[in-house]
Amino acid sequence: MGITEKIKRNIDMTSWKDKIPVNYIYTVGIAGEKFFREIKDNGKIVGTKCEKCEVTFVPPKIYCERCFSRLENYIDVGTKGTVHTFTICYENVDGTKKEEPTIIAMVKIDGTDGGLVHWLGEIDSKDVEIGMSVEAIFKAKEEREGSILDIKYFKPT
Amino acid sequence: MGMRRVAIVGAGLTKFVRRAQETGKELAYEAAKMALDSCELTLEDVGCVSLGTAPDAFDGVHMKGEYLSDGAGGWRKPVMRPYVGGGTGVFNAIHGWFHVASGLFDICLVVAEEKMSSCYPHPAGAFLTIFDHTTEQPLKPNLIWIFALEMRRYMETYGISHRDIALVSVKNKKNAMDHPCAQIPQEITVDDVLNSEVLADPVHRLDISPTSDGAAALVLVAEHIAKKITDKPVWIDGVGWNVDTAYWATRDLCYPRYVEKAARMAYEMAGIKEPHKEIQVAEPYDPFDYKELHHMEGLLLCGKGEAPRLTAEGVTARDGNLPTCPSGGLLGVGNPIAASGVMKICEIFWQLRGEAGKRQVPGKPKVGLAQAWGDLMQVGTVIVMKV
Ligand SMILES: [Zn+2]
Repeated sequence: MGITEKIKRNIDMTSWKDKIPVNYIYTVGIAGEKFFREIKDNGKIVGTKCEKCEVTFVPPKIYCERCFSRLENYIDVGTKGTVHTFTICYENVDGTKKEEPTIIAMVKIDGTDGGLVHWLGEIDSKDVEIGMSVEAIFKAKEEREGSILDIKYFKPT
Repeated sequence: MGMRRVAIVGAGLTKFVRRAQETGKELAYEAAKMALDSCELTLEDVGCVSLGTAPDAFDGVHMKGEYLSDGAGGWRKPVMRPYVGGGTGVFNAIHGWFHVASGLFDICLVVAEEKMSSCYPHPAGAFLTIFDHTTEQPLKPNLIWIFALEMRRYMETYGISHRDIALVSVKNKKNAMDHPCAQIPQEITVDDVLNSEVLADPVHRLDISPTSDGAAALVLVAEHIAKKITDKPVWIDGVGWNVDTAYWATRDLCYPRYVEKAARMAYEMAGIKEPHKEIQVAEPYDPFDYKELHHMEGLLLCGKGEAPRLTAEGVTARDGNLPTCPSGGLLGVGNPIAASGVMKICEIFWQLRGEAGKRQVPGKPKVGLAQAWGDLMQVGTVIVMKV
């Protein structure tokens, strides 16, 4: 009985099925408001720079995590970056096979200390390399809604 | 016991609001930055961070402590997250106290944050699984059941009326009118409380604190540091915490025995023999109006069933002999769970330093107490502070 017995299906035992009925609305915050507005309205990526630590945060923060200075200068950091590391995904979150593998890359935004994790597009997975130059491709302005998905993907320059 | 004396030297508090635009990290930063600025320390001076925040399900961020850590000043520092549900705020300061009292760190930044507005339709939904998943969840419980059942036992045992209890809500919401961070400062009457919407009888809308977003922070330092940076250190001279059984049918619902045990631990450490005479200002945990009374009794600030009389006689008013929740408490200032416990410690800190402004209690108090409660409604956390 109990732990010494191999159990194949927990529904074979007396049990109760339930769920936790909660949903979330995540505000993007003070820095996030600037970040996503620039993406939506202007197709630009902005960061904040700590002059004291000489660190530029992308996405922007209202504070420097290193020295706790308040950061209020939002700077346009351009849309180009470099592939820092990447993976090619073959399965969906439920374990089913993807029809087409997707390429996920960590893109360091050039001239900053930060970056974004996003999809790579317009490239064959065999051709992806660490260190390659890429740029953000935005959805058409009328389709943008202030989301990270307003960037369709990064593509090789 | 070979432990060092620990002082609070700085405090910071954001406004408590129903919905903040700021992310949790940004809220944590505002409180932590204010606490450090208040004692002219920088992040560089901080040895470690104690980060308190209640269920991950409120903010909707798993590993919320890790997520919040950079906003709380934890970048490349030793960070630990203590967690005892609603008791987290006061326990967070106790946890910070360990870090300094032990000799391991000289300066600990204590930060607490909660952002309950992320969760909808209501954060109470996140509480469903605190009920036993096979014997109680099938009954579709809501959180207020717990308090309604407990409040009724308290009323029945000591012959207390709802009118007696509602006085606490009236007092605390009025006290909050002098607090710049307060979410629902209000001037209301006992009848307003009794006539407000019934949620789970006998609990009405105005018996309850609101859900809130907010953050609070403290700077804890060792004695030799305290003396260098301020001539008004507030000493943490007693800490106590205790849990009762999680089987609530087995627990004493009319009296919080676990709060008494936590209080006795803190009093013994602080050398307090007659708490009802020695404690001069108190912030008992008041998420519901009856809980302030329940907790005053558990804290031995009066006899069992006597707290309503003290309230009616004005003893617990800001200018009474034993002011309770001069801040306005959770009922008036708001209840971002972990942050609200730290808010109470901030209030006692300001009261003992004579810096509470319009909220200042008379008589230059020298000994104060803050308490929180929570977990599965069976934890008590207590801190005794002195100047
Ligand atoms: Zn910096």
